[in-house]
Amino acid sequence: MAALPPLPPSWALDLSTQPPRPAKSSSIPDPPGFSAASSSKSKSTQSSTTSAKPNPRDPQMLVKKAYEVALAPAKQLPMTFIMMYMSGSTLQIFTIMTVFMAFKNPLVGLLSTFSAFERFETEETRGKLVLVRALYVLMQLVGLGLGVWKVNQMGLLPTTRSDWLAWETARTPLERAIPAF
Amino acid sequence: MRLPTNLLCLALSILPGTLAVYADDAYHIDYHHQLLGIPQPHTTFFHRPRQHDKATLLYTLSDLSVLGAINPGTGEVVWRHVLAGDSDGNASIPPGFLRPVEGQSCVISAIGNRVDTWDAMSGRANWGSVFEGSVRDLEVLDMPTVDDQMPDVLALFEDNHKGIMRKLWGFNGGVAWEYHAESHDIPLQVSTVAGSVFLVTLHTSGAGYDIRVTTLDPINGKKRNEYKLSSHLDVSHPKDVLFVGANSAAPIVAWTDQAKKSLKINVLGKPKDIQTLALKQLDGDVLRVTLHAPHLAQSLPHFLVYTESAGSNAAEVYHIDPKSGSIKKAYELPEVSGSGTVSTSSQNANVYFTRQTEDEVILVSSVSHGILGRWPVKTEKPHGALIHSVAEVVKRTEDTYAVRSAVITSEEDWVLIRNGVEAWSRPEGLSGAAAGQWAEIPEEETLAKVLEAEAHSNPVSAYIHRVKRHINDLQYLPAYLQQLPLRILSSILPGEAKSQSLGALLRDNFGFNKLAIVATQRGRVYALDAGNRGGIVWSLKPFDTLPGEQWFVRGIAVDNSNGVATIIGSEGEFVTIQITTGEIVEISAPGKLPPVTAGVVVDSPSGRLFLPIGLDGNTGKLPAAKLPKDNLVVLGANGEVRGLRYEIKGDDAVPVISWTFKPALGQRILNIASRPAHDPVASIGKVLGDRTVLYKYLNPNVVLVTAVAEAASTASFYLLDTVSGDILYSITHEGVDIDQPISSLLTENWFVYSLWSDTIAMSPIQSSKGYQIIVSEMFESEIPNDRGPLGPAVNASSLDPSEIPNAEPAIPFIVTQSFIIPEAISHMSVTETRQGITTRELLCTLASSNSIIGIPRAILDPRRPVGRDPTPKEQEEGLFRYQPFLDFDPKLIITHNREVIGVKNVITSPALLESTSLVLAYGIDIFGTRVTPSAAFDILGKAFNKLSLVATVAALAVGVFVLAPMVRRKQINGRWIVA
Repeated sequence: MAALPPLPPSWALDLSTQPPRPAKSSSIPDPPGFSAASSSKSKSTQSSTTSAKPNPRDPQMLVKKAYEVALAPAKQLPMTFIMMYMSGSTLQIFTIMTVFMAFKNPLVGLLSTFSAFERFETEETRGKLVLVRALYVLMQLVGLGLGVWKVNQMGLLPTTRSDWLAWETARTPLERAIPAF
Repeated sequence: MRLPTNLLCLALSILPGTLAVYADDAYHIDYHHQLLGIPQPHTTFFHRPRQHDKATLLYTLSDLSVLGAINPGTGEVVWRHVLAGDSDGNASIPPGFLRPVEGQSCVISAIGNRVDTWDAMSGRANWGSVFEGSVRDLEVLDMPTVDDQMPDVLALFEDNHKGIMRKLWGFNGGVAWEYHAESHDIPLQVSTVAGSVFLVTLHTSGAGYDIRVTTLDPINGKKRNEYKLSSHLDVSHPKDVLFVGANSAAPIVAWTDQAKKSLKINVLGKPKDIQTLALKQLDGDVLRVTLHAPHLAQSLPHFLVYTESAGSNAAEVYHIDPKSGSIKKAYELPEVSGSGTVSTSSQNANVYFTRQTEDEVILVSSVSHGILGRWPVKTEKPHGALIHSVAEVVKRTEDTYAVRSAVITSEEDWVLIRNGVEAWSRPEGLSGAAAGQWAEIPEEETLAKVLEAEAHSNPVSAYIHRVKRHINDLQYLPAYLQQLPLRILSSILPGEAKSQSLGALLRDNFGFNKLAIVATQRGRVYALDAGNRGGIVWSLKPFDTLPGEQWFVRGIAVDNSNGVATIIGSEGEFVTIQITTGEIVEISAPGKLPPVTAGVVVDSPSGRLFLPIGLDGNTGKLPAAKLPKDNLVVLGANGEVRGLRYEIKGDDAVPVISWTFKPALGQRILNIASRPAHDPVASIGKVLGDRTVLYKYLNPNVVLVTAVAEAASTASFYLLDTVSGDILYSITHEGVDIDQPISSLLTENWFVYSLWSDTIAMSPIQSSKGYQIIVSEMFESEIPNDRGPLGPAVNASSLDPSEIPNAEPAIPFIVTQSFIIPEAISHMSVTETRQGITTRELLCTLASSNSIIGIPRAILDPRRPVGRDPTPKEQEEGLFRYQPFLDFDPKLIITHNREVIGVKNVITSPALLESTSLVLAYGIDIFGTRVTPSAAFDILGKAFNKLSLVATVAALAVGVFVLAPMVRRKQINGRWIVA
């Protein structure tokens, strides 16, 4: 039988009829990708919040910020230590993961020593940042040391005599006496 | 490569030792030859153990003094006992006697100073009595007794050159009466006839002996009369008296003249009546004359004289008139060439003689020469000449008979021939093994060699060679394809995989197929195939030894690269035999070379050398080309240990005594233990719980000398450095019973010994009484991580231990613990594995329970904490609390249910699998098995179900094939169809 053309699906209707615009004073943020028209506005508000800072290029401020970044790994250390201590020295998936993270984070951190402080780099701060970088490296090394301590705790470091036993050889006697009875 | 070895070693030391022979391994991986020894003609018989039952058992008391009952139907041992247990085995075994009690379920044995009665069915002892002197003869007194009571027993003893006759009560073995014969007469035999007992002794007369016959009253043992037979011209040795009739109606004593031309017979109880019968003359000289007569009193007084020459034999049958005592010839059996035997069997009055020749079995009655039965002989394999036999005759109907005879042959097999057909044969010659050694099955031309040859030739010819080889290999393809399904099936299906080629000697992938060369004290050499459940591959007798004479084997050296074994005997004789075939490569008769006390394999400029050590540990001068590379340690004449060093003097290598060790005054050396020739050590240190290392003292040049002092009853153990002769350690145990077995063993860096001591009498504070096992472990230093006085030196010399002149030798630090054990250990041995990664297991022979126990090393660790529980770090090392009593857990017994008697030595050999060690115990019995001291970690056990694995994989595959299309369809539908 000949039927009427079907109604457009509900989503097509929703798309074509716009909902009423909410009040501007609403504190509810817009959903992501809401409207191309409002994006330019939000960008301008973001720029206004950064511009709220007194002076972004203030060298003292930058160094202070840099010190915060350099000391950030140290703040994690007590937590890492407690985790490592609690996970014990047996070989299991949790310990292996902690140990892996304990090595990965400092190593990645060390590799990004320069990139981490690039944004604080100005003509004025350059001299002071050397010290900050040194502190940063030291903190990463402390983190690495914690990892090494953990590995040693697990007995994985060849620090004892028994670890080198396989490379030691028995003394070769210069004379041999063969028993004949 | 070294690291994984070490890690594995550590891992294995933590693993608990295997504590069991698995039920599915028992009777599969082990094999056992239950042997008796060679049955003796006068102690072997058929006897009915149950009177209401016609079934008989075959009883024997063998030359190794093993009493046993054999099922004549199957040839299996019903029960057996070792009557004269001699752990060292070198002492001569006294003559033994065995008599059945007619009409009773009882057999009576007498050997040495003992007389015992045994239940014939179960082998349980009824009573046993011990007397002074040693037994010379045994008879059952055949007197009418009431109510099936045990008849009394007559036993003739010799004590201080004096014959003593004792009548023992049948019910308890108590002495009824004793009769002391004339002193300095040699007591010979006893014979009884209704109402009187005859004691036959030999009285010295000139160069020979006269026979003295004394008649005794069986009731009170009073002498009735005696007479002498003048036989001194003919009888010069007790063996010259051929026969003293046992319980026949007319007992006789018989001997031959020196020329073996005539036989002289006296019917006992008839003085001065010596009858002379002419012996039948054969083709060659008559070598042996034997008499065969029935042993039953009710049997007819007939006897058979059997004469043998080197190549033929004949027999004559005589009848005795019991009234007049006259003897007359009834008939004779014709001369037949070849070897043969005759045996007597009697049923009530009837006496049957079974004549066994190499071709046929003939049955005759003693009454007439008519042949009652004749059967051609069929044997499965040649067994050699016939030596002696016992027979059992069953009358089926009026004129049909069945005969089964158990024959000893010159191949030292015991063969049962039933109506001419071989029913079974027992390799009794294998008993009494004196020495043994493992040998590899020689590899045939290996692929590796071919490949090496190809690598060394030029590419074109190598290519052509390879193509040719592959074409040549194609001929094996059809057979391989044919076998393929069978091989796959047999590897999947549960159960022992059948060895693919029975009979052929082939190496296997695991190294379980090895040969054991065993030499017996009777002078026979056997090769046993460990891969084929200890089956005999070949046997041969390289030298002629007289019966009863022992062959003292001083050493067996196996040269696996050439596939030969050399056996050296005490009189300088040696024989070199091809391992696989048993062909003699080289032989030298006894006496040609000087006597030998030991043999040792040494390296010399002209290759490996099997060097015989003469008396007093002297090797004599050697040609310079045979200069041994190493020093030797030998046993000197006066019970001393000597170190020998060789010096070149001109063209000769002269042995020089570099040191001599004598134990303290009053002590004699009992035993010397040295490290096994193959004693690899995977790790040179012991890792402690705190990851420090105690370094093992791994000097290969040490021996452990056991010395005992009879008077002080002490046992001392000295650890000697065999290069310098220094005493590294010594200990003396007091209150030791030195007649109890003292065994010792030295391997790796530990030694262990066991003894019986009573220290309660010595010091009441630290007291113990009983069998003990003492284990000591040697370390380079007491302090962990310290390599002792020698420090990190790579080389070590015992002569010059350090830079400092005249420095003290490096003394090991020794930890010791002792344990009380429930029974004596007569011999110790240790497992050997290929690389020494697997922990060692101590194999101890328990003579009193006829078994072998494997004690794991973890139990015998002298560092076990005493009086406290181990700390967690000690637990990590695998140490557990010391317990003074070391119980022999039945699960540790590697012989499990089997009774292995008379074990003299246990030899071990590594398999290709690191986990496994092959074990062979020899002595009277032969027992072989495989042990895995750290569990079989490198091979799948039989419990592993390959079938279920394959079935699971197959089921999963089927599941995937079935489910895949379904899932695919469902996924497509899910995308396109709206519900």
